[in-house]
Amino acid sequence: MKATLPFTLILLSSVTPGLGHRLDEYLQATTISVGKDRVDAQIRLTPGVAVYPIVFASIDMDADGLLSQDEQHAYALRVLHDLSFTIDGARLAPTLVSAKFPAMEDMKEGQGEIQINAAVDLPGGGTHRKLVFENHHQPAIAAYMVNCLVPLDPDIHVKTQDRNYQQSLYQLDYVHTGARVGPASVAWWTGANGLLCAVAALLFTRLALLWRHQRA
Amino acid sequence: MNGLPRGTARRIWVVTLICWMSSAAVAETATARIVSAANAFLATLDQKQRQNVMFAFDDAQQRVRWSNLPTSFVHRAGLSMGQLTAAQRSAALALVSSALSPMGFEKVQQIMDGDEVLKANEGGNPMFGKDLFYISILGTPSEKQPWMLQFGGHHLALNVTIAGEHGVLTPSLTAAQPALYTLNGKTVRPLGRESDKAFALLNSLDETQRKQAVLNYHVPDLVLGPGQDGKTIQPEGLKASSMNDQQRAMLLDLISEWAGIIHESAAAARMAELKADINETWFAWSGPTTVTPGHNATAYYRIQGPHLVIEYAPQRLGGDLSNHIHTMYRDPTNDYGRKFTAQ
Repeated sequence: MKATLPFTLILLSSVTPGLGHRLDEYLQATTISVGKDRVDAQIRLTPGVAVYPIVFASIDMDADGLLSQDEQHAYALRVLHDLSFTIDGARLAPTLVSAKFPAMEDMKEGQGEIQINAAVDLPGGGTHRKLVFENHHQPAIAAYMVNCLVPLDPDIHVKTQDRNYQQSLYQLDYVHTGARVGPASVAWWTGANGLLCAVAALLFTRLALLWRHQRA
Repeated sequence: MNGLPRGTARRIWVVTLICWMSSAAVAETATARIVSAANAFLATLDQKQRQNVMFAFDDAQQRVRWSNLPTSFVHRAGLSMGQLTAAQRSAALALVSSALSPMGFEKVQQIMDGDEVLKANEGGNPMFGKDLFYISILGTPSEKQPWMLQFGGHHLALNVTIAGEHGVLTPSLTAAQPALYTLNGKTVRPLGRESDKAFALLNSLDETQRKQAVLNYHVPDLVLGPGQDGKTIQPEGLKASSMNDQQRAMLLDLISEWAGIIHESAAAARMAELKADINETWFAWSGPTTVTPGHNATAYYRIQGPHLVIEYAPQRLGGDLSNHIHTMYRDPTNDYGRKFTAQ
């Protein structure tokens, strides 16, 4: 495959220099949406005309020239396998939510977009969180993009985003102000909860003293 | 006033009143003018053509049927310029012109001319050319009820929503290939000011500002291009609150290259909105920070505010990034004028 790729690219580049569609890249644009306990990712994959044969061959496993439902599903899972999600250093396994494939003719012309929706469940954690996303799918021909949508949850605030030059590696630091922090943690006691508990304790003590005084 | 005869004073008063009423009428004419141009265009069509060009205002499929791609790849509905007689075509372009500023209409014409140049460069390739730009109308042209005018084809998608006195141009796509060409002995750069003004702003930044504005990663394409309605990405780069007054003015001037495509009164309202947002607006740059004089930027840039997303994305296709540019103009809170149309 490696030997034939440059030849295919040169051939198609010289034949169709001005056509209005993607040519020799496999655009893989990911948008990440962070929620309280879940991260959703949409990956849009658009093979250029010149790399379409490579992408098609990797989906059409039985080489019958058609993309069956099983082959599409298997390909979507392989894409997910090439992605990596970690939260606060812990590896997460993405699950496939849906996969939509364009008509083969559209893909051949470099304008068909494969859409894969995935989700990862987030374990509970602290207020400050670090999500790392990596895309290693078809690196030889890939043009990666990754962006975070503005969180819909007003308790989630993006702090910083970092990427490597190719955008195959993306790091998102965010704050979840409404994080589920239990009474066992220091954070729970140092906030408004602690103040309310102190006031409640004082009232309870006062009531207990009054009750004792009346009985006496 | 004591020195003026009563008759003269009355005449002055009447003339003043007429002038005042006329100026009020002129102020209201933007929508009226567009409606009138729309009706004039529709009057040139036969019944079948009228059926083809008109869609229900809430036709969700037609609303999003726009793209940067040639019409042979992404089918457009409505009527193409090639399907119209010379008189019908003039009326169609008069309608488009009525909804835009002179600057905006000139940009549209240059993009269309560029596609004709591309067709010639491609040996008369039938997938390009001025005949393949489509016009469509969603809803009934009205001064009161909302309706939409769509015009576009390869490298152009204008979505103009008219709702009473409001005019909304988002989402719209302007692009060009070739982005630099010669026509009738004149050098044309349809998106030249978008490049030149962005470079002027970039070059005005000090080292600290530039460090924030210039991203350390490569952006290969539009992030919020066709099909990406309703998404708002996390802004990045340099916030305009960290710019000085002159730089903020330069940023607004750059923004006006998109906000000023629509007719003047709608553009003025839009610019006022964007000016009020300016301190919450971000400028991000990815790619080369120098340019060959007279050529277009080969870097990607994005301007993003609470009511704005602008992207400028050079394309590798064709071999020369400076000669193939895509740009996108959005208002994530008001695309297709939904604020004014209660869709």
